[in-house]
Amino acid sequence: MAGAAREAIPRRAVGRLSGLPTRRIIQWVLGIAVVVGAALGASKTLALNTFSASAWRDLVVFGVAQGAIYALIALGYSMVYGVLRMINFAHGEVFMAGAFSSYFVARTLDHSGFLDDNPIVALLILLLVAMAGSVGVAVLLERVAYRRLRGATRLVPLITAIGASLFLQNTARGFFGAQTRGYPTPEILGGSWTIFGVPILRAQVIVIVVALVSVVGLSLFVARTRTGKSMRAVAEDKEIASLMGIDVDRVIVTTFVIGGMLAGVAAILFAIVFQVVGPFMGFIPGIKAFTAAVLGGIGSIAGAALGGLLLGLLESVGPSLFLTGFHIPGPNQLRDVIAFAILVLVLIFRPGGILGAGDAEKV
Amino acid sequence: MRKSRWLTMVALVGVLTLVAAACSKDNGGGGGSTGSSGASGSAIDCDTVQFGCVVYGPGEPIRVGTLLAISGDVATLGVDSVHGVELAIDHLDGKFDATPGQLLGHDVTLQQEDDLCSKEGGQSGATKLAADPTIAFVIGTSCSSAALGVADTILSDKGTILISPSNTAAGLTAPSQHQPFYLRTAQNDAIQAKVVSDFVFTKLGFTKAATIHDESPYAAGLTGGFKTFFEGLGGTVTDEEAITSTDTDFKPLLTSIAQTHPQLIYLPDFNPACALIAIQAQDIPDLKGVALMGSDGCGASTFFDQAGSAGDGFYLSGPIASPGSTTSALSDEYNAAYKDQFGSPTADFNANAFDAFNVVTDAIKTVAIQGSDGSLSIPRVALKDAVFQTVDFAGLSGTLTCISTGDCQAPGAVNIGVYQAPDAPVNPATPDAKPIFNEQLTLAEALGQ
Amino acid sequence: MDGTPLTRHAVRAGLMGGVGIVYLALVGMIQAFSGTSLIGDVATLARLLILFPPFIAGYVVVRPRVQGGETVTVAPIRALTVGAVTGLIAGGLTAAGVALVEILPEETVRNIFVAVTTQLIDIVTFDRSTVQGIAILIILAAASGALGGFLGVIRLRIRRPIAVGIIVVLLLGMLQDVFRVALIQLGVPTAWLYSARFGGLTYLGGVVVFAVAAAATLVWADRRRLARAQDEEEPAPDSRGVGQRPTQMLIAVGIFVVLALLPVLLGTFLSSVLGRVGLFLLMGLGLNIVVGYAGLLDLGYVAFFAVGAYTTGVLTAAPDSGSSIHVGLGFFEAAPIVIVIAVVTGVIIGGPVLRLRGDYLAIVTLGFGEIARVLVTSDWLKPFLGGAQGLIGIPAPSILGFSFRDPQPFYYLALAFCAVAAFISWRLATSRVGRAWTAMREDEQVAEAMGVSTVKYKLLAFACGAGIGSLSGALFAVQIGSLAPSSFSILISIQALAIIILGGMGSIPGVIVGGLVLIGLPGFLSEFQEFQLLIYGAVLVTIMLLRPQGLVPNVRRMRELREDEEAQDQWAKDLDADTARAFSAEPLGGPPG
Repeated sequence: MAGAAREAIPRRAVGRLSGLPTRRIIQWVLGIAVVVGAALGASKTLALNTFSASAWRDLVVFGVAQGAIYALIALGYSMVYGVLRMINFAHGEVFMAGAFSSYFVARTLDHSGFLDDNPIVALLILLLVAMAGSVGVAVLLERVAYRRLRGATRLVPLITAIGASLFLQNTARGFFGAQTRGYPTPEILGGSWTIFGVPILRAQVIVIVVALVSVVGLSLFVARTRTGKSMRAVAEDKEIASLMGIDVDRVIVTTFVIGGMLAGVAAILFAIVFQVVGPFMGFIPGIKAFTAAVLGGIGSIAGAALGGLLLGLLESVGPSLFLTGFHIPGPNQLRDVIAFAILVLVLIFRPGGILGAGDAEKV
Repeated sequence: MRKSRWLTMVALVGVLTLVAAACSKDNGGGGGSTGSSGASGSAIDCDTVQFGCVVYGPGEPIRVGTLLAISGDVATLGVDSVHGVELAIDHLDGKFDATPGQLLGHDVTLQQEDDLCSKEGGQSGATKLAADPTIAFVIGTSCSSAALGVADTILSDKGTILISPSNTAAGLTAPSQHQPFYLRTAQNDAIQAKVVSDFVFTKLGFTKAATIHDESPYAAGLTGGFKTFFEGLGGTVTDEEAITSTDTDFKPLLTSIAQTHPQLIYLPDFNPACALIAIQAQDIPDLKGVALMGSDGCGASTFFDQAGSAGDGFYLSGPIASPGSTTSALSDEYNAAYKDQFGSPTADFNANAFDAFNVVTDAIKTVAIQGSDGSLSIPRVALKDAVFQTVDFAGLSGTLTCISTGDCQAPGAVNIGVYQAPDAPVNPATPDAKPIFNEQLTLAEALGQ
Repeated sequence: MDGTPLTRHAVRAGLMGGVGIVYLALVGMIQAFSGTSLIGDVATLARLLILFPPFIAGYVVVRPRVQGGETVTVAPIRALTVGAVTGLIAGGLTAAGVALVEILPEETVRNIFVAVTTQLIDIVTFDRSTVQGIAILIILAAASGALGGFLGVIRLRIRRPIAVGIIVVLLLGMLQDVFRVALIQLGVPTAWLYSARFGGLTYLGGVVVFAVAAAATLVWADRRRLARAQDEEEPAPDSRGVGQRPTQMLIAVGIFVVLALLPVLLGTFLSSVLGRVGLFLLMGLGLNIVVGYAGLLDLGYVAFFAVGAYTTGVLTAAPDSGSSIHVGLGFFEAAPIVIVIAVVTGVIIGGPVLRLRGDYLAIVTLGFGEIARVLVTSDWLKPFLGGAQGLIGIPAPSILGFSFRDPQPFYYLALAFCAVAAFISWRLATSRVGRAWTAMREDEQVAEAMGVSTVKYKLLAFACGAGIGSLSGALFAVQIGSLAPSSFSILISIQALAIIILGGMGSIPGVIVGGLVLIGLPGFLSEFQEFQLLIYGAVLVTIMLLRPQGLVPNVRRMRELREDEEAQDQWAKDLDADTARAFSAEPLGGPPG
């Protein structure tokens, strides 16, 4: 009944009915205020000249490295959303599962000295284990929790995902204990390489390179291979894809598998850079990665990558750049505020994210 | 028609509510008197005195509550304190033999609650213990955030003593905020902040430092105190920053601090943040040569676990037993017994917990009314008064004298030592490490009074 | 013909049951509950937990299934054996796990799974030697499976009383602290019901409770069936919101009366738990308007809670509270100001973002919640809000000298506010505003076309939610008299959301039930505190999978959800050409009912 009525009324008329000019004005005022504030803060900070050029350079590199990890996790969110129109809130726990499963292997390898003697082989083994762990949890989630909820209203899968996230975190806490543990890394990863005259930490170089390779690889996969094309078809319209003979279930599972694999890669990279694991380690990166995916345009690979990068940079450079000029005490505490303010700003003017569709409202 | 029905219902409920509220005020007195005095001719009548008495029948165990951080990342702190209390119960019979002793002919059992190192945990644990009329006193909390304005208020409102082995935040014993039934055997952090600033300024000779706190009252209290004292000596705090304890990436923060060119960064936080900062600071070229220092929050075995060799050179401040105190023989026995029963200590405050227990039980011995049938009555207010009159108590953590604002380490000088990793007693590899600096101060001296 | 698939089904269910037992052991629940005895000295909660998965497995296996186009049922005798086999497999898997742990060096397993201790193995082997214990485990598991199978096939009329009886016995056993205290307060002797030595129910008590509960269920079910048969002949009244029917109103009032009397029955500690329940009920009622009525995905409700708490703190606190602002108002004087400020905040932050699509709105509101937390913790706002150390010295609310700080009076204050909020919600839901919200929720574009200004109504919902949420925050501030920023984490938003989801979105009695279950039960059952979040997660997932309309659903909402399901079923079952034609010829007619 509603469907027919919906067809009868042209979209344009609907848009015009709800567009109040006052709201538009307020939005523009807000947007301009934030941009002006940011520019002012930046100019004042640079005028103070307390940061050396190498410090800014370091901050940018840190941001890119952190952003790379966010991007890898965000890709998982983006793909699942594209195919299922669902926020997989538990993706952070998929990431955590990969980290934990590889942790136990890493510990054994470290005790026996294998980790330091054959770092490359050891890292590859750990990577495989992490991917296996993440993929396992991702597939489990899809099968147990999400499969039955394919057609339901938006709120239901979201709540299920939140519940699954809580469940997985606390299962890990029950199994392995609540404390954070040090993750053993091969010694060869300490120190830095000089690339184009810029000293970058080895661990960070690896992170950036691996993330780049993954994103490119994923794009090629989705664009060229048959499975990739099936995924795009299902993302476009599930029912028609199924009518065309595509096994929708299988495509969805594949999506989760790929998302899991990427999360596993992210887990290893995280472990290399930060050298800690704990049962709650996935929660905050998960939320941040999701923010990144939305920021860049959820549903698109380039969007997730861009969003991740941008978020990493904002967190790293933002507080120093925008807030030091205003002499705000403890600017680093407010880095999430900066990130979310930018997110809200972007969503106000481009509701689909930076690279997303421009009219993603009210669909 | 429907509307009027609803209105009458609402009115009914309202009236019922008021009636119930009025009635409840009589019933739900909570603590109240719980029994009559056992012996004849005692001066205290448990039925009329404020907060009444804790009464134990013959053979019933004396119940002591503990409200400590026994789970999560800070479990090393709370569990360590619980061990100190358990050793104290063991020592009731005068020797450490892994069999619990008795107090005035009654066994002693523990009711353990978790303070979760948070306001919520402090509130729920304290409410539970306060509502239990058989709890004689409570040892806790581990974290100042669970006590300040929370557990100290709830338990004081019911007349139950709360004595903390590890709360160090100055606010807990500030005259305007102190709760009447609260005490601590831990040092007041004003002292630790003073010692740290003395160490940095005089021993290391640094004049510029930066601080990082983790948004906990404990850490913020220490960095605030450090700033006051350090600037008082003539130093400068170049940057004051804050982190969240769940953060993992500190490199941008450290880069930004490095731009202010401090000679030392003081981060009196908890693990894993301390360990992570120690690791990541090595990757910031601008921080080369900048020293790092933490306090007893960092000083746990997990620091060495997580930081590994990156932690070498990290300074750690913490309380140590006064050298040459009369109880050094006892402390040798105690340390041996601890190692025997529990392995190596995971934090710095187990001795304070041992002392906390003994301070109160000594007071119990003086005020308890023993019935001829073997029953025991402990008047709450009299117990509190007796504890606050503790003078020159020979404890493991120092000579304790409790002053009216709750500090038991106050007039007695507190000995704060500074260690340099990896040589610290909380490192399982070096349990007998010696401090590289120590200073003994009373609270009054620290505050320059 | 149905032999092999049933066997396979049984094997699968049995394995899942075994996995369930192993999971409960590894996550630490079995060990944590080994001290709580439920009935007598034999049935500890841990043992019942061990036998629970095989029971469920046995039950699930024998339920009627659709297989190959037919509904397959299992005969009662068969059900017993199948259930037993299922339980056997579950027990066997667990036994294999035990054996594995015994064989492997202790270090290996203990290093990974911290819960595997000798104590755990003792519990799982029922405190016997390994071989004996495993044998007992398998036998008992098989028995549980058989019991589950039995329950699965008997008629509903017999099954329901038995199930309710078991549940009530378990509840009374687990809530032993609560009920025993309540009964003592009422002066009822409890020696026959609760064993003083073990803490749980006595055998006699268990039997009596079971019998009474089962009988009551039987009687109630029969009467309801008669009533429903009567109803079929009369048209049902148009129900548009919370119960207009006499029985439902009676239930609502009954609930309120019970809630009002609870603190009198329970002691101080339990009343403080109720105080917390009251706070969350208030939050749930506010969030119910935003999520339940208007359909807005709000994951950052803690923002309003924080605004309310800190505004109250700043306005009422004594000097030296940690804030440089000192106004010194009383609680009831400050409350209207708090509400106004919260509503304004709600409009300001809601305005720009409310037109975003559901999922985006979710992440943005999540962001607002986090921003609120960061701001109250920050050093930047420390001079006003107390920073990391928070605010202290917030005085208790008082009227004419009567202070509301003690747990019981505080609870009544919270309850009073809840009553007001519930009343407002109910009136809104049945008014034009409520109808506009329903229209918006069901199809936004059609609602726009009909002239409903979605932006205005969304803002209104947001503002109402903000006001009520801030009131809850205000109460929180005065409950203890101090505020710590660590209290305002995303977990509060999730808990509030969970309450209304579990209870039923858009349903006021649902909010009450949800609050009691999700906040009250963990508070009363202190052993569960360690696993509170784990159980939350499991409950959320289970509810969404099995009963998304919640425990006490709003009638209209249930119809919406059921319409959704039926529409999908109808589309999928498009076999009959006639049906297909009839369907396409009538685009405006939905499926019947």
